[in-house]
Amino acid sequence: GPGEPDGGTGRGPLLISRLISLQAETAFVPRRGGTGESWEPVDAAAVPLLPPNASCWISPLAPQDILYRGVLHGKLQTGKSVATLDFTKQLGHFFVDHPEDAFGSLGRLLHQNFYLGNSKLRVSVCLGVTTLPPTPPLAAASPRLYPFSLQGQARDSTIRMTSLTEEIDRLEARRGCPQQRLTARLRWFSHLCRDWLFEVPLGLLADRVHEELLLQWADLLFDDSPTGGALAWLPPEDRGAHTGRLVYPGGQAMNHLYFQDVVLEELPRVWGSPVQFELNGRIRQVAAARVDGEDFVGVRSDYHCGIWRVPDKTGMAPTPLQVIRTDVPACCLTVSPHLPGELAVCTQSGAVYLWSVEMGLQRLRRDPQTMFFRDHSPWRWSDFTAHPRVLSCADRTGLQCLDARAPERCHFDLFKVGEEASCQQGERVVLPMYLGRAHPSQHLITTQFSVYVLDERLPMVPVLKWAHMMKAPPLFAHVTPGGPGRSHKVLLGASRTQELLLLQYQGKRWGFSDAATCQLAGPPQKLHSIAGCLQHLPTQLPHRHCLLQQRLSSPAAGLAAALQEDGLRESLLVFQLSEVGDIFCQRLTHEAAQPLAPTEAELPPESCASPQPSAAVPSPAAALRYRRWLKALSKGCGEPPHQSCPPTFSQNRLFTRKELETPAGPSALHEQARQRLRQAMREGGRIQHWDPSAPQPPPLPQPLEFVEGLDSLSARLTAAWSGDWCQWWEERSSFNLAQRQRVLRERRRRQKRARGRRSLSASF
Amino acid sequence: SSHEYKLNFRKSKELCLSYIQDAMLQKQWKRAAEFLTFYVESLEKDFSREHVNPSEMIWRIGTEILCHHSCSSMKEFNSFTEQMKTLAVKRYLKVCLEHAFHLLCNGLTNEAYQNLSLAESWRFGEQTAIQNKEMKLIQAYRGLLDYYSWSKQKNILLKQCQDGFEDFSVEQEMHSCFRKAAMNLKEIIKVPGVWDLFVKCYVDLLEFYGDHNEARQVLNEYAYNSRFPANPNAHVYLYESLKRHGEPKKSLISVLKILHDIVPSHELMMDFNTMLQKSKKRKKRQLGLEVIFAALDYAGWKQNVKAWSCLARQVKQIVTSEKHLDWIKQEWNSRKDWWPAFHFSRYLAKRNWQENENLSYEKALVAGILLGKECKYFKYVSHQGCKTRARRFRVLKKFVNKHNLVYLRISG
Repeated sequence: GPGEPDGGTGRGPLLISRLISLQAETAFVPRRGGTGESWEPVDAAAVPLLPPNASCWISPLAPQDILYRGVLHGKLQTGKSVATLDFTKQLGHFFVDHPEDAFGSLGRLLHQNFYLGNSKLRVSVCLGVTTLPPTPPLAAASPRLYPFSLQGQARDSTIRMTSLTEEIDRLEARRGCPQQRLTARLRWFSHLCRDWLFEVPLGLLADRVHEELLLQWADLLFDDSPTGGALAWLPPEDRGAHTGRLVYPGGQAMNHLYFQDVVLEELPRVWGSPVQFELNGRIRQVAAARVDGEDFVGVRSDYHCGIWRVPDKTGMAPTPLQVIRTDVPACCLTVSPHLPGELAVCTQSGAVYLWSVEMGLQRLRRDPQTMFFRDHSPWRWSDFTAHPRVLSCADRTGLQCLDARAPERCHFDLFKVGEEASCQQGERVVLPMYLGRAHPSQHLITTQFSVYVLDERLPMVPVLKWAHMMKAPPLFAHVTPGGPGRSHKVLLGASRTQELLLLQYQGKRWGFSDAATCQLAGPPQKLHSIAGCLQHLPTQLPHRHCLLQQRLSSPAAGLAAALQEDGLRESLLVFQLSEVGDIFCQRLTHEAAQPLAPTEAELPPESCASPQPSAAVPSPAAALRYRRWLKALSKGCGEPPHQSCPPTFSQNRLFTRKELETPAGPSALHEQARQRLRQAMREGGRIQHWDPSAPQPPPLPQPLEFVEGLDSLSARLTAAWSGDWCQWWEERSSFNLAQRQRVLRERRRRQKRARGRRSLSASF
Repeated sequence: SSHEYKLNFRKSKELCLSYIQDAMLQKQWKRAAEFLTFYVESLEKDFSREHVNPSEMIWRIGTEILCHHSCSSMKEFNSFTEQMKTLAVKRYLKVCLEHAFHLLCNGLTNEAYQNLSLAESWRFGEQTAIQNKEMKLIQAYRGLLDYYSWSKQKNILLKQCQDGFEDFSVEQEMHSCFRKAAMNLKEIIKVPGVWDLFVKCYVDLLEFYGDHNEARQVLNEYAYNSRFPANPNAHVYLYESLKRHGEPKKSLISVLKILHDIVPSHELMMDFNTMLQKSKKRKKRQLGLEVIFAALDYAGWKQNVKAWSCLARQVKQIVTSEKHLDWIKQEWNSRKDWWPAFHFSRYLAKRNWQENENLSYEKALVAGILLGKECKYFKYVSHQGCKTRARRFRVLKKFVNKHNLVYLRISG
């Protein structure tokens, strides 16, 4: 199949003793399992760090928007997963949304031949005028028919547009009708106009629309543009300090870059106002690394990449250093942890560059083909390795390491999707990351199924593999190195589903023989997602709840974490950015003195097998944050314009002025009505008789006297009207019973009599 | 309709799985276990054609839950695994192997051994290629356990020898363990792969019985067979074995040379460098300089005082003797554009000075020679050093001042 990697490179079968490792003489240590450090979430859900990114509200694209109507249903029926894109609808949208582009000048030229009036097409007789009229006004309020020199010609070459639109409307109304037929006039018109009405050649336009649709659909299935994440935490210079910096995108088009000081308290809070830069495009990725005490922040948008230097002292503004522009969208930007002002850039054309602020760009490779087997994805990635001149270079099929000094000659394969790593069919590299801060020669590689840890010194054979079972591929990763004897904490984040996982692994920082003893510590742990806080927000009106849900569950766009040490207590603060620019954070704590594995007694009692375990309640401080955030959201961005309020009409359109005229002062009648209203509200009752002039209820029409001759329905209705329907029923049923008994008795008597007579005759 | 039923069934199956996963990721093992009992129903109508089918899912999840669940015991684990073995024939060997690992991790070596032996005798129809591999692994691990009992017997025997009496039964048992272990271990290391553990054990066995040739051959094969993945450990084992048997320097150097080519940042490079420095041949000494320069390229070696002092000593030697300055020039050529920022920045001078004076001394010497006395690193460290009135820093300053023109010659 298409997902089959061609693993036959002559390396033969490879068995790896990866499951178990030997440490002492005969003590076996599991490669995974064991006990990790316990990091417990402090709050019940993620808490907003910043007020909502008010101006940004992109309504997410849903499959229904671009799929052919009814195809979902059909798809399920046939069991095939081939989606049909609704090309016609999209092209129709284009014509409606951009009529000027589609029909602009030709429309202008043809203006004379379209009659837009309501009246019947009359032929004005205007003999003797032979010159063509001056250019007609474009948006003529009352289009006139310009007289032609020959009236017959005018009649032949002019179309009454109103009737045409009426036909189209009628067509719309009959949509779905199997008998629908185009009227002759429409057929004729479309036939005539097909080739020349459009400004843009229709074939070309169709190609472009279709291309765009395919692109949108591919993005809907898997959007790799935010790979790496657009959120970065710049920790304080000395480890005890509490103020760090968060770098994130914001604004309406997510094209503003913010550097915000954040104080790490129980709930982290922002300090001062952010330093802001307006950029030229939507920010896709923010990458940061600290070299020589200074932070270097790389920012990637589709066609531009930039680098900022952030001085270590707080309060000093970040300075932009350089910007590069690419012809093809860039898909990767990583900052060197070794040398100041060095970055690796990849573009979708398959080019990999080493970008140095001082030396400029150096192209290391340009290969539109993938490395190990054929894959259609133009995505490329590059990161640094233990050697500052050697860069890793990835596509969906694997990783290679290149020496920047001789990229053509010096390279070796680091990872390949295939047998050596016992990959699954269709498995692809999603995000590689250099784990230099945890171990100088280790790399993390995520695929849609698994996570691998690779050692540069022992390429191709992963030293650790774990199937993460995430619903969406992990596009974001963050590593928090643990000290000696501690585990390294790896955070994995997915975009579409907002999943967030914390896993711990151990591996000695030094010594090669122990490289093989890399082990996963403790079971992986799920962290709160942004959407999870919905249940802790104050109750909303249904439609607002819906909007809020949509907002909170928009795909994640970045992930960052900060480690805070406070004596024995350590906290890990995890920040998560959403696609609309909201940033939420959560705190996990680890007590160093605490025993490694909490006993069952210490754990909170587990709930039974219910889909949602009983949720904890957010702290008052968190609840306050939620309320403020919500308030800011409803105030700031209100709601998206098209969905916000139901259509309203002015009263003036419904009533005449006279009707709307208010009386000079409140009449006694009004007073009375108000009083009654208040009273009813106090009592919680109803106002039954609104008309104050008739305080007494109109007397019920007297039930008609029971007339013997009434049919049963009338009798029943009469009884119901007078309110004693139940009684009527009782009576009727008992009446029936009595009647039946009487009839039965009568019949028996008759039969008896008949029998008697018969027997008498028989005896004769 | 049946299709709809299938669809609903699949949906609820997926939902159930996601609940299990959710519970497991929050360490709610009881909740996960309860859901798993519902999920077992999914076996009944298994329409899936996915890579990981429900029965495998149940095995994996069940194992994970039993490993963490507070109420689970070894007995329960065993009975669960036995059930899993019968659930899918294709997976039998895999489950057996994992079971044995679990037993081993819990110190139940004998049970694990029995399990592996049982799995070894299992036959079911035609064996697939994967099953063949798994069978080899099972045999190898059994061999490994035989090796452990061998080494236990050996220790008993050695102790008995010391105490002055001999027990033939122990010796015989030891020999039988050897035979079993050697046979299985020998098989697995023929297959290309990373078999550090097995190779080590097998070589140990061979060397004990004096079969050095065979041991050498195994190690050579493991290191140099191109079908095996490039494994630096293989070269390390070969080197260690050669060293143990007092082989000549030349062969040691040739092994380390290959290791240097594969992993220039290996910690044995320090030994390699020392070895090369002692050599009388010029070429080898030049290689020594190359080795130490290459090691210091790596981020992991940045703070290594030993390596820096090694480099400082050699550079000093060359500069004093004024011979072979071209060696330094050659090495420096490919590094002069990035070493200053990587090793000799002012920030690092400050930090090295604060954290490790010795390191900053060695680095300052190298910096002073390679970059001249105006280099930031050298200037800062010598200034700070002279403030402390330490003699070696004054000597250092004098030395660098004296040879200040060297840097022009090597970078020219």
